[in-house]
Amino acid sequence: MTTVGADAQITDLTVNDHACLTFGEPEELLDLTAAFVRDGLSSGLKVVWLSDAAPAQAVSELARRGIAVESAVAAGQMTAAAWEGHLLSGQAFTADHAMGWLSGEMAACRQEGFPGLRVAVDMSWALRPVTGVEQLPDFEEGVAAALAGTKVSVLCQYDRERFDPVTLASVAAFHTRAVAAATYYQDAVLRICRQYAPPGIRLAGEIDFKAEEPLALALAEAIRLDGDITVNMADLAFIDASCVRMIVDATRGLAASRRVVLQCHAPIAARFVLFGAADVLGVSVVTVHER
Amino acid sequence: MPGAGTPILDQVFDRDSLYALRSAVAAHASQAGLPQGRVGDLVAAVHELAANAVRHGAGHGRLRVWKHDQSLYCLVADDGPPQDAGAAGGTEQQSRDAALWRIGSGRGLWLVRQLADQLSLSSGPHGTTATVIFTFGPPEPDPPFHLSQHS
Repeated sequence: MTTVGADAQITDLTVNDHACLTFGEPEELLDLTAAFVRDGLSSGLKVVWLSDAAPAQAVSELARRGIAVESAVAAGQMTAAAWEGHLLSGQAFTADHAMGWLSGEMAACRQEGFPGLRVAVDMSWALRPVTGVEQLPDFEEGVAAALAGTKVSVLCQYDRERFDPVTLASVAAFHTRAVAAATYYQDAVLRICRQYAPPGIRLAGEIDFKAEEPLALALAEAIRLDGDITVNMADLAFIDASCVRMIVDATRGLAASRRVVLQCHAPIAARFVLFGAADVLGVSVVTVHER
Repeated sequence: MPGAGTPILDQVFDRDSLYALRSAVAAHASQAGLPQGRVGDLVAAVHELAANAVRHGAGHGRLRVWKHDQSLYCLVADDGPPQDAGAAGGTEQQSRDAALWRIGSGRGLWLVRQLADQLSLSSGPHGTTATVIFTFGPPEPDPPFHLSQHS
C-alpha cells in the first residue's frame, strides 16, 4: 500500500487551520507534533500542546527531536500541559468548558503580543472514562467557528488505531484539513514513512529486498529535500543486506556538506558498520537503546 | 551431511514466507542454546541464502536446521522446479547454478561469509544447496544445550 500525498503534510499548515491529524503509533505522534511545534516557534507564534505526557516528559520528547523547547518554555512562548485543569475539569468534559479554555488561551496570546497561536491537542482523553465525551463533536464545531478570521490554528490529534471510524467520521467534517505522515509502505510487518523532526525517513518492523522499491522512493524524497537526513530505525528489528546496501549507497551520493544520521539498535548498527557506512564522509551511525 | 539426523526445523519457503522463516529460525536457534547475538547473525545468514533461492534460484526452497557436535547446521536448498524464466524481472536470469547465485546476490553471500563460522555451496542437477555452520563456542558452566527438549 503506497499512500503518498493522500493527506496534507504537517509542514503545510497555515494560520486558522483546524486540522485533524491521525497517527498510528506514539513515535509518529511525537514526530508530527515536533514539526508542528518547530514551525510555530520559528514563525514567532505561541505554541500550546495538551497531551497525556507529564509536561517535563513532553518537553524532553520534543527536545530529543532537535526542537529548542526548553528556551521557548522559559520565554513563555511554549506551554506543554496535561488535559486536566485545561480541557477537562475533574474527569469531566463539557464543550463549554473546553471552549472557554481555548478562548482564554487565544486572549492570553493576544495580550502577550504574539502574532498568532498554535494549539495541538492529543485527543486520546476521549478514550478514557471521562463524562461528557458525547459533546466532542460540539467542541470540534465550536473550534471551527472560533478560528474563523483569527491567527490561530488548532491541530486535533487522533489515534487512528484506537478511535472507532464512526467517531473519526463524526468529527472530520469540522476540520479544514486532514493531516498524516507521508507513508511509502505499510503492511503487517513493515512501515516506511517520512519523518518530519528531524527530517528524514522512519523504518519500523522488518525490512528486506521485497521493499526495495518504496525504500528507494523514500530515500530519494528525503535526499531531494535540503539539509541533513535522519534514517530512524529505532523500531526496526531486521534489515537484510540489500536494504543496508541501498541506504549506504544513497548516503555516498550526497554532497559532503550534508550529514546523515543512521539511528538503530546495536545489532543493526553493526551491520551498517560492516557495510562501510561509518567510513562514508558525513555519515554517523548512532546506537539507540530500548526505551 | 554430518549428523544429519532429525532436523530441529524443516520448513519450505517462498518469496512471501521469508518473514515466517526468519521467525522460526530465531525461535529454534534460541531454544537450541545459541547466544542471543549469534541468533541475529544466524537469522540474517539464513535470510540471505533463502533470498538467493527466491531471487536467483528456483523461486522457493527448503531450509533444514540440525544440531551436531556443538554446532548448528543450516542447509538451504532451492530444490524445487525452476521458475518460468519469463516471469523473472529485470536482468535476473533463472538458473540452477551456484555461480549465478554469487553474481546475482551482490553482497548477500559476502555477508553470510562474514557472519557464519563456515559456508559451503554446491550445485548439481537438483539445484543449489548452501550450508552454514554456527558453532556454540566454548561451553558455559551450565550449558543450556544440555536440556533435552529435542530428544
